[in-house]
Amino acid sequence: MTPQEVQAAMEGGAVVLDMRPPKPFAKEHVPGAVNFQFNRADLADRAEMALPQEGSYIVHAEPVPIAKVAVDILTKAGFSVTGYLDGGVKGWKEAGLSTEELPLIDVDQLEAGLDGYRVIDTRERFEFKYGHVPGSEVLEWTEPWSAFEEVDDAKQLALVCGDQVRSCYVASVMQRAGKDACLVFGGMVDWVERGYPVEKSGSGAQAP
Amino acid sequence: MPDIQEHRLLDARGLLCPMPVVKAGKEIKSLADGEILKILATDRGSIVDFPAWADDTGNELMEWHEQEGGVFVFFIKKVEED
Amino acid sequence: MIFKQFRFEPLAQASYLVGCPRAKECVIVDPIEDLGAESYVLDAADLGLTIVAVLETHVHADYVSCARELAEMNGVPHYLHEAARGLVKYEFTPFEDGHVWEVGGVRIKAMHTPGHTPEHTSYVVTDTPRSDDPWFVLTGDSLFVGDVGRPDLLLGDAAMDVMDEGERAETQYRSVTEKLFALPEHVEVYPNHYGGSTCGGVNMSGKATSTIAFEKRFNLAMRQGTPQEFAAFVKETAKPFPDNYGHIKSYNLGLIDREQLKQAGV
Repeated sequence: MTPQEVQAAMEGGAVVLDMRPPKPFAKEHVPGAVNFQFNRADLADRAEMALPQEGSYIVHAEPVPIAKVAVDILTKAGFSVTGYLDGGVKGWKEAGLSTEELPLIDVDQLEAGLDGYRVIDTRERFEFKYGHVPGSEVLEWTEPWSAFEEVDDAKQLALVCGDQVRSCYVASVMQRAGKDACLVFGGMVDWVERGYPVEKSGSGAQAP
Repeated sequence: MPDIQEHRLLDARGLLCPMPVVKAGKEIKSLADGEILKILATDRGSIVDFPAWADDTGNELMEWHEQEGGVFVFFIKKVEED
Repeated sequence: MIFKQFRFEPLAQASYLVGCPRAKECVIVDPIEDLGAESYVLDAADLGLTIVAVLETHVHADYVSCARELAEMNGVPHYLHEAARGLVKYEFTPFEDGHVWEVGGVRIKAMHTPGHTPEHTSYVVTDTPRSDDPWFVLTGDSLFVGDVGRPDLLLGDAAMDVMDEGERAETQYRSVTEKLFALPEHVEVYPNHYGGSTCGGVNMSGKATSTIAFEKRFNLAMRQGTPQEFAAFVKETAKPFPDNYGHIKSYNLGLIDREQLKQAGV
């Protein structure tokens, strides 16, 4: 699909599924795109666990062979996929269309500025219980999008998971809904490696 | 470190989190109390996922280490709930 | 460090993915058309890695390379040693001996090891989080496990061949003794071919990895005392020429296109 066709489909309610890894996605992506990292082994399983079944999707994956495989996997998993974005981000910009950025911070920056963020942990409850960033709240990545879209962002939202795959997915849904959100690259693995304080069970108050 | 002999091997390489833990959960169901499941995973999130999962399910995470090539190896001993 | 050796058994050819799991980036070395650009792209994606460059040790004569396609598909440079300028008829990104690529924590250094071909380059790889010492070297067709690359795959055109068989053999000998064997002994050797390939002689091992230490001691070709004895030994122990090497080399140099390659029966 050309950028213009994708844009028209988006206006009609289609969702662009950006399947690149978190870093390139965060740098720049089609406005309103939802990030969902590609792999062959378990894309179908993860999609079934998290993505809304209804609605139509447009795949953005680079290069083209990945997009084709992704369309195939998602279609077989029962999702309605209209097609894939031809030309990627480069083609999108060449068509004169604007892109969006998702701010990235690392765990050092999170630790230094902890009070200024509302930290949302997107892992499963048992992972959160075992150890999380002090003061963070759990909101599982498998929750419906409405749950992500309702989170209050008076303080900037900082999304966290084990590394950054699930959190990037949730961050992108939040950004799509106009929320002020950033992604903590490196997640709990880096946080623990740094030796930063870890809270066990505790509040775990359900966001929002 | 002494070699641990596993009863079952789960190859979760290439799976993104939380799938290694999800698959391990399924796999361990068919093991007997005391049997050991060895898991290979490439997802970095596994480092925090498996300890948390073991703690939550009551199974014992005996040992884990990183192998060459970014592969993480976990040894989980099944502990039957009373 | 993420390291994968891909093996295409029918031609006993090995290609490589070398990357950093933290930076989530990788390079592909010597990709082969028989596996296809798509398969490298999917393998990298499965590992969550972005391909940032395609490197070749040399312009191959025994298999069709998909380096150009892979680089273009990913919008990244296709690297060959600058000695390939004037030989290769398409655009590529040249580098000098000693050029360094930093792929996250992985450091790749170009070591020009001519002989098998004039532009042939080996890649010395260091995993900086683990040590400042190099860990392994991708030797292409210069040094094999148990053997060396043959010096006689010529096109019969002095301008394209640059060196004749004798010069190639001598240069090869010096590249291995003075450069590769000067690396620390623990450095692992990963070649572009292994036993079964016709790019080397009859002593090529079916094992696709070794060390500098082992090859120094037990590589028969390298135990010849002088470049001349080495050249004679290599000639005696040569295998039949690779199938279609003239056409394949011409295609890889950009002298002929796909259509012409097909018409030549490849």
